[in-house]
Amino acid sequence: MAAPDAEDRDLIEAFKLGEESAFTALVIKYREGVYRIARRMLGNHEDAADVAQEVFIRAHRALRRFDGRSQLYTWLYRIAVNLCLDARARSVRLPVADLEEGRHEQTPGPGTEEAFEGREAGRAVVRAVSALPPRQRAMVALRLYQDMPYQEIARIMGCSEGTVKATMFAALRKLRGALIEEGVLAP
Amino acid sequence: MTGSCQETLDRLVEAATGSLPPGERAWIAGHLAVCDNCRREAAGIEELAALLRDEGRVIVPPGFWPGFMRRLGERIASDRPPLPSRALRWLASPLHALGTAALTAGAVFAVMLAVRAVPLPPQPYLVDARARGLVTQAMAETLPSLGELLETWRAGLPAGSDAPAEQVRR
Repeated sequence: MAAPDAEDRDLIEAFKLGEESAFTALVIKYREGVYRIARRMLGNHEDAADVAQEVFIRAHRALRRFDGRSQLYTWLYRIAVNLCLDARARSVRLPVADLEEGRHEQTPGPGTEEAFEGREAGRAVVRAVSALPPRQRAMVALRLYQDMPYQEIARIMGCSEGTVKATMFAALRKLRGALIEEGVLAP
Repeated sequence: MTGSCQETLDRLVEAATGSLPPGERAWIAGHLAVCDNCRREAAGIEELAALLRDEGRVIVPPGFWPGFMRRLGERIASDRPPLPSRALRWLASPLHALGTAALTAGAVFAVMLAVRAVPLPPQPYLVDARARGLVTQAMAETLPSLGELLETWRAGLPAGSDAPAEQVRR
């Protein structure tokens, strides 16, 4: 299990000693990653911004109890993913089977597409990613966009590394199928 | 599909997204060189990963972060824990010791300045009076010979005394 890097460790220690600016430095370092995960999971800027705020509020409350046994970003991203999963569960009340099998149609929110490049391929990617079940979407965001290793993703998602690999493989197959249907990828 | 195919497929996503150790990548490349199915699958995943990365860029609205930091600061300020909890946290912190030391030093310094600022009335330089002031009633009662001893010291030892030590002991 990887401990926090030296810079994070110093900032956490400084924060524990009462140095509030150390927390600001940590926010500046990780706000982009937290926001991007939330944005990809929730599909719109407003909700992602709210989740990002909540992540750092919770981190501020709990950082003094952070035991340093994992990377700080793993801890922050886990908070972000859990908040996004909760937010999705509140906003989309669908049967669990539908969520897990990804059969429901999910229309991206109005703020989503403008966030991406305006091209048709970009919109098709947004639609395809939005149609994934939330946990698959989280794994795609963490692996493809945050470049996180499977081991860290497994820790964030609270499952085994094997489950992450299998889920990622299934998610990519699903995405490929959707994008072939959209005519973005060749069969 | 062979056992090698399954192992390859298990690692294809990692290989396509660049997180596979070089040794394993070489092993997969060796398998792909001889297996058409896995090669097609690998090409598809690689193409998809590249497309997702290229087209999935998130653009943060301009001017978002300053507002975000300001709101976060306000929320953290209003999210302060109640006073007893903050006091306990302060006491548990090493800063507590430093703070207490600084406050104590400051208080001592202030008292010293105040004492120096008030001039004392001139006192006559009376050695005997000062020495007597040092001998309290309790001391005189506890040590009856103390007064005599002081008198002896004040008068000096008698000339030709052959037992000064004995006098002092008395």
